[in-house]
Amino acid sequence: MDRTMAGRTSKPTVGALPDTTAGSPFVPAVLTWLVWSLFAASVAVLVARVRLGTSWEVPGVIGVDGLTVLLWVVVAFFSGVVHSYSRRYMAGSRHETGFFLAVFGFTVVVMGLAAADHVGLFAVLWLAMGLVMAELIGTVDGWKQARAAASVARTYFLASSALLSVALTTLWWTTGETTISGIAAVADGLDGTAWLVAAVALVLAAMIQSALVPFHGWLLSSMTAPTPASALMHAGFVNAGGVLLTRFAPVLTVDATLMLGVVAVGATSALLGKLLKAVQTDVKGELGCSTVGQMGFMIMQAGLGFFGAAITHLVLHGFYKAYHFLSAGERIEHASPTHEASSEAGVAGLVTVLLTGLAGGALFAALTGKGTSVDGGLLLALFVVLTTLHAARSVVERASLPGPARYGAVPLVFLPAITVYALVYEAISGVLSGLPVVSAPTELGAVHALVAVVFVAVYVAMEAGLHERSPRLYVALLNASQPASSTVSTATEEHDEY
Amino acid sequence: MSTERTVEKSTVEKSTVEERIDRAATTVGSLWPIHSFVTANPLAGFEDLPFDEAVGQAADLLGGRGYPSPETFRAALDRGQIDPRILDSELTERGYEADPGTLLERMEAEAESTSATGEPGFRAADPEGTDPDVRRADRVLTKWLSAFLDEGQARWSMPNREAGFYRAVRSVAAHDRRIPDEGVVADLPESPIDAIEAVLEPYPESQWVPVFEEQFAALSGWTGFINRRADDDGAWQSAFPIALEGYLAVRLALLDGFGVDLEPSTGRDGGTVGPADGIADAFLSAWEASYRGDLVEAVAAESEALDDAASADRGSADRPDAQLVFCIDTRSEVVRRHVEATGDYETHGYAGFFGIPMEYRGYGSEVSNDACPPILDPKHHVTEAPADGDTRASRDRWSSLREAAGEAVETLKTNPATAFGFVENAGSGYGLALAARTLVPGRVRDLLVGADDAVPDDHEFCDQTVDHRGDRAGDLPVGLTREEKVEYAATAFELMGWETFGRLVVFAGHAGETANNPYDSSLDCGACAGNPGGPNARLLAAVCNDESVRADLRDRGFDVPEDTVFLAGQHNTTTDEIELYDGHVPESHDDDLDRLRADLDAAREHAAAERVGSTDGDDTASVDGADGGASVRETERRAADWAETRPEWGLAGNAGFVIGPRGLTSDLDLDGRAFLHSYDWSTDPDGDALEAILTGPMVVTQWINAQYYFSTVDNAAYGSGSKVTQNPVGNVGVYQGNGGDLMTGLPLQSVMAADDEPYHQPLRLSTVVHAPVDRVTEVLADHGKLTGLLDNDWLSLTVVDPTREHRAFHYEDGLEWSSASEAPDARRAVPNAPAVADD
Repeated sequence: MDRTMAGRTSKPTVGALPDTTAGSPFVPAVLTWLVWSLFAASVAVLVARVRLGTSWEVPGVIGVDGLTVLLWVVVAFFSGVVHSYSRRYMAGSRHETGFFLAVFGFTVVVMGLAAADHVGLFAVLWLAMGLVMAELIGTVDGWKQARAAASVARTYFLASSALLSVALTTLWWTTGETTISGIAAVADGLDGTAWLVAAVALVLAAMIQSALVPFHGWLLSSMTAPTPASALMHAGFVNAGGVLLTRFAPVLTVDATLMLGVVAVGATSALLGKLLKAVQTDVKGELGCSTVGQMGFMIMQAGLGFFGAAITHLVLHGFYKAYHFLSAGERIEHASPTHEASSEAGVAGLVTVLLTGLAGGALFAALTGKGTSVDGGLLLALFVVLTTLHAARSVVERASLPGPARYGAVPLVFLPAITVYALVYEAISGVLSGLPVVSAPTELGAVHALVAVVFVAVYVAMEAGLHERSPRLYVALLNASQPASSTVSTATEEHDEY
Repeated sequence: MSTERTVEKSTVEKSTVEERIDRAATTVGSLWPIHSFVTANPLAGFEDLPFDEAVGQAADLLGGRGYPSPETFRAALDRGQIDPRILDSELTERGYEADPGTLLERMEAEAESTSATGEPGFRAADPEGTDPDVRRADRVLTKWLSAFLDEGQARWSMPNREAGFYRAVRSVAAHDRRIPDEGVVADLPESPIDAIEAVLEPYPESQWVPVFEEQFAALSGWTGFINRRADDDGAWQSAFPIALEGYLAVRLALLDGFGVDLEPSTGRDGGTVGPADGIADAFLSAWEASYRGDLVEAVAAESEALDDAASADRGSADRPDAQLVFCIDTRSEVVRRHVEATGDYETHGYAGFFGIPMEYRGYGSEVSNDACPPILDPKHHVTEAPADGDTRASRDRWSSLREAAGEAVETLKTNPATAFGFVENAGSGYGLALAARTLVPGRVRDLLVGADDAVPDDHEFCDQTVDHRGDRAGDLPVGLTREEKVEYAATAFELMGWETFGRLVVFAGHAGETANNPYDSSLDCGACAGNPGGPNARLLAAVCNDESVRADLRDRGFDVPEDTVFLAGQHNTTTDEIELYDGHVPESHDDDLDRLRADLDAAREHAAAERVGSTDGDDTASVDGADGGASVRETERRAADWAETRPEWGLAGNAGFVIGPRGLTSDLDLDGRAFLHSYDWSTDPDGDALEAILTGPMVVTQWINAQYYFSTVDNAAYGSGSKVTQNPVGNVGVYQGNGGDLMTGLPLQSVMAADDEPYHQPLRLSTVVHAPVDRVTEVLADHGKLTGLLDNDWLSLTVVDPTREHRAFHYEDGLEWSSASEAPDARRAVPNAPAVADD
């Protein structure tokens, strides 16, 4: 009965609990070590590329360019964080080893995809990526809803793979090229039905992958995945849509009308995603809808011809969304039903708000070059103005803040933040500089104007709370964001046992 | 349409429908909102039945299992936690002849034939038998329930919520194409009762109550939450009312629309006790008796020793250096042992709300919390008012800046036109935070603690509104009158049986510290309804320092010396740090305070080392005494690590409750498994204090114990499943995965060391009382509810009687006792002879 274990008082123990200390499992430890080694190696490759301009290739199969190296670093980072996090988070789960194997496998597949040049290899890895992600959604395989969610996702991913295969086969058929770089080189000569089929199939495959409306169903039904798998999904997997468009940018940019279409589908998702998000009551559903919107914005950037900006957005959004998933458990607060915010701005406040907003836009344009000429970049600059302006307004309205903070905080925080963004953007554009198309700004047209008007209108409407006058819209949004019916746990009549 | 007769008729019917709903609602449990997690018996509605029948009925209605699994029993048997001799006699008593191994196999065989696949913590929704139309109705319902019951998560809330649930759903039903265009739901009547009547028309009235019971059990998480919210009548309920009646009306109308037959399934009256349940009951009883036997034996021996010691040095009661009062919480047992080991300290156990039932609102907080056990209603409203203007100003600046930043971020993220720009500008920062919180959680905590120290804590510059000055907040008076203060202080000392007071008396509340944990309030003080106990401790300390209170206490027989200073503190149960709220302690006590603080630090290191050894520490398995610092670091890492699902074990392991002087247990290591309430029978001649303890703290500990028990034996039905796939909803609860029913109870990681390895030992509470057995009988005789719980085997009660040679008596049934000191099979009732005074 006596336990003389250190740290214990040497008193007779009554009813000692058994020692349930679990040993540190081997597979997760090794894989975590491996993935961080991959990260270190990727960083080394990136440095070598930036410093020495080296590139590597296995002609006809693999080509390591700027985008490859960038994605390697980013993917290995996210995967490393997810591995390290899951060492503690998944401890004691009977799925721990399988989960680690799937996450590591996913990482390897995505890194392969980033380097694949042969269209066949690309298509196979694309399919594998989807299948492994579906596995992760169904990690808890004894749970019926998880299996159903995996199956829903798998169906979508098979469709996206089929579309991709159609596009790649068509491109190979018409150009005779078997590599992505080869196709890019001769893309200018593409036209006619074959081009249209390939381009539309590519866009659709990207839309499914990035869970754009109306293909957001799989993403909003995927919360059966362990939280770290969701983080990886929202920070990594959905980005592949943007990567696909960037890889095949030379094909897409053949015709400006198609690009306008991409802008339109992107903008639609961007808006709807945010509206869907507004009615969500569960944390993960809210994050899911937010991803739908963010991916829409990213695809819109690509449609505007700013592929570098799209890649930058997906990296930064990855940080943001992975953080929010991994911290989903801390989003519980004891709120009060009455929430009155005192708002008073005054003339000085309004002027500050406007000036801050404009300064933000100007700084953004000056540092990134987006918005300095009359093209689609103006649209991106408009978003920065709106964001800064909105932030400034929300702070200036707070009468309880001391004066300097009220008027100074936003310029003080936002202008450096915009600078940091610009630096990241420039760095990423620099790394990507060897790609066929990094930036192909489109001419300003009616669609751009329409998008700008719609966004400003929605901004004003949301601020004024106009949307809340329509119960019909509310119900439509709520229904549109419901997970697939087979993936919801409602029955309590029976349950699993161990 | 409304002749007088029909009006009259319908009023008569209405009352009967309402009555029937009330009757059916008794089986509905209570689910508290997750931000103030209250541990309650998920089967509270069945407590009027014997335990075995209750779990049988609950199994039929809610689908949860009621006994530990055969594997759990086998592990306990193999580890020697079940005494084979006791097991033999328990099995024989129930008529089982086969040996335990065979019986366990029989249990396993039966479990296999009745259960589906094995996934710990997950409900296999949509079993073969469930009507797909019911599932369809469930999905529509859960959609609207989560929209209506949302407490501030969604930016755009359900329209017309202020009209109440039924009317709000009625107003949106026309727009919802997932609501069928048939049956009652296609055109909902004005009132919910009319809807219910319309749906039930084809069914005989005798079936109505069973129909209601079955429908209430269907989404037991949400109905439990509605039940609680309606009872509690808090701010959200007043703003957006919902009642079981309105919910039932919507549910029945939907089922009608989907064409579901409501005929209640037969065969659940009486409760089905499966054949294997009898075996399980024997194993469980034997396991409990094994634990209880050790505990009672040890306590009885200490009782005898205590008696000898007391007669040896009677009259030389020294003043201890300090007295520290902790919550009865099982986690206090560990730290108390280590505090006592560092010096001449006396520690006591008292309910962690310190006997003051208050509604509390912290400084700058928008919401009030009921800081008292759920069996009590708050009687006072207490807030914090800033006393120190400068500190307040600096703190206000910080908090309003922080608030403004939070608000700005929130609004940026929400508006479609700004969310994208925000993500781009803030993304890099999130990247850094992502890496830091994952790779160096301990450092991040240091940083945050440093930043936090720069901002004054509320208790450093705020005073509580202790005194009642005639004003009220809502229904409650603000503060306490002098009489009430004296009463609370005197009650505390009476219940704990105090006669001497040291120079320092510390009331230590407690709270957990954890990151990224929806269940963080389940680690806070259960006696404060899932809130930190510091404010209550502070209030009682302020009361006891009041000169006028002390004067009145003298009249009540508590002579508190001039130089006694009361102060409050808070025990961080995750890191075992004890923070003292020492702002007002006079200089004369500086030395005492310094010594105490140093000793508390040392105690913390030892307690942390003990606990780190018993958690699943992967790299700290071999902590030795000199390495207390490393253990403290490890507990701090757990407190701050966003990836940690087991920051501390909470009350897991709880199995016993000892009511008596600390001397009974101070020489024992109870491994954090026992609640301890201080009590001295010799200062309580008429049994009033004992009555208060048995009807208050014992009932609350039984709730907590039952919560841990059921969360362990069936984590899917009575717990909330694995944290790994949880999804917080509406600031009120969690889903598993995509949505559906609210989960109830504790998460898997709070009670299980691994998916297949329980950490908590699922045992019903064994209470041990140190008092004359007749006095206990008298108290029980006055409280039918208590005897009901005991007779129905929801907990057990053993008395170690100091007036009868420290013999132990085990409560049997109907106020009869058996002498537990003898062999368990030689039970014999003890005549209710008058107590023999021993001095």
